[in-house]
Amino acid sequence: MTNLSPADLAGYLRQLGEGALITLELFLASFAFAFVFGVLIGVVTLSRNRLVQAAWRVYASIFMGVPTLLVIFLVFYGGSAMLMTVLGELGSEIDISPFGAGVTALAVVYAAYIAELVRGAIENLPKGQFEGARALAIPPIIMWGKVILPQVMRLALPGLVNVWSFMLKETPLVSLAGLQDLVAASKIAAGATKEPFIFFIATALVFIAFSAATLKLATILEIRLDRGLRREPNARTARADA
Amino acid sequence: MNARPHDLKAMGEAASPAILLSGLTKHYGSHRALGGVDLEVRRGEKVVICGPSGSGKSTLIRCINALERHDGGRIVVNGIELTADEGTVQDIRQEVGMVFQHFNLFPHLTALENCMLAPQLNRGLTKPQAEKLAMLYLERVHLADHVRKYPSRLSGGQQQRVAIARALCMEPRILLFDEPTSALDPEMVNEVLGVMEELAASGVTMLCVTHEMGFARRVADRCVFMDHGEIVESGDAATFFEAPRSERLRGFLAQILR
Repeated sequence: MTNLSPADLAGYLRQLGEGALITLELFLASFAFAFVFGVLIGVVTLSRNRLVQAAWRVYASIFMGVPTLLVIFLVFYGGSAMLMTVLGELGSEIDISPFGAGVTALAVVYAAYIAELVRGAIENLPKGQFEGARALAIPPIIMWGKVILPQVMRLALPGLVNVWSFMLKETPLVSLAGLQDLVAASKIAAGATKEPFIFFIATALVFIAFSAATLKLATILEIRLDRGLRREPNARTARADA
Repeated sequence: MNARPHDLKAMGEAASPAILLSGLTKHYGSHRALGGVDLEVRRGEKVVICGPSGSGKSTLIRCINALERHDGGRIVVNGIELTADEGTVQDIRQEVGMVFQHFNLFPHLTALENCMLAPQLNRGLTKPQAEKLAMLYLERVHLADHVRKYPSRLSGGQQQRVAIARALCMEPRILLFDEPTSALDPEMVNEVLGVMEELAASGVTMLCVTHEMGFARRVADRCVFMDHGEIVESGDAATFFEAPRSERLRGFLAQILR
């Protein structure tokens, strides 16, 4: 049924494995940056300062409106020129890799979405939570870290899981800037062997497996963040143990 | 005046009042919430503020710990003048505990953790020290059996008592209450008032916005009636209720004592 030798198959699958690892690294690095910047931007842009508001609107409309692929190309092909303008001679020394361009582009784009989620969640928190903390003379940084953000994460979690899944599905775009990721590897293997089904389905399975792991992780996080707010504290854990 | 231990201690300190408000004004846009309020609360004194909704009584006590910033007049708390400087705000908040209508407990922390957070941050206590302190005050509000529970597992009355314990853990010399029983089911009002009466006996200065007139009669050294952002009348509890001088207070008392 297939004229692919077992040795060739193993070779291509190994390349797929290496590609999967790159995809995973790209995704985790991008999400980590997007998360940190998204939360920071979400908190900072709550300020009523008009300059901050204007900057936020420009940033959000650019990166939520422009296709991610275009942002990746802009960073990859235009990044060196931008760095040179900003840093002068020093900038020309820095070589922008497809991986670096991918992380930068995905982080910048998805930070906007995460910031939007965080802003919404903060605005949905009762004002009394801030007042309670302020009346206790809790300094702002600790108020955010210990009182507000843990509650914000609970409210934002469903949206964050969406962003996470969506971002994972967009990572193959970086292969168009030359990154040898999972999809690039499977395209090469499919083309060389004329066996598109084997490799594309194998690739799809990797994504599905990763999504499934994601959902599991999200459930664990949800239980952790919901502490104190669940109706029956033991019902869920009891079921999980069974 | 009864010479309570706290009063004796207070006499040793500077003779400044616990709270001094003079010519206090506050506007929301063009709406005048406070129109030049003068009020002096002596150390150890219990003052009840009442008045119709929108009379500025909540705004008044929220200005004292700078949850709302006043736009005119002076606020001096234990000798510290409240200015635009964040430092004075923090200093005053250390002296003043506040209990809110809607409790404002942190829902992701247990009763004990709610009480431990501020003392650990502001008073430099270690975790075991903060826990010991929190246990002490949670016992004092009769919640020793519930310290590991999250607020959502507690009744409204229990949550408000945790909130009182949380304020006490800062060991403030002044307590502000903003309608502490208004959000409670009727059967829970008394457990909270009971705790507040016990506190009153301990000698702490209390400024309390409430419509619980029974509480005011039993506890207040002085009652203050506000309307339209001004103090209309004030006096000791007996005169206040039995012989109100102003027409507005008579009308208000007739409404709430029906």
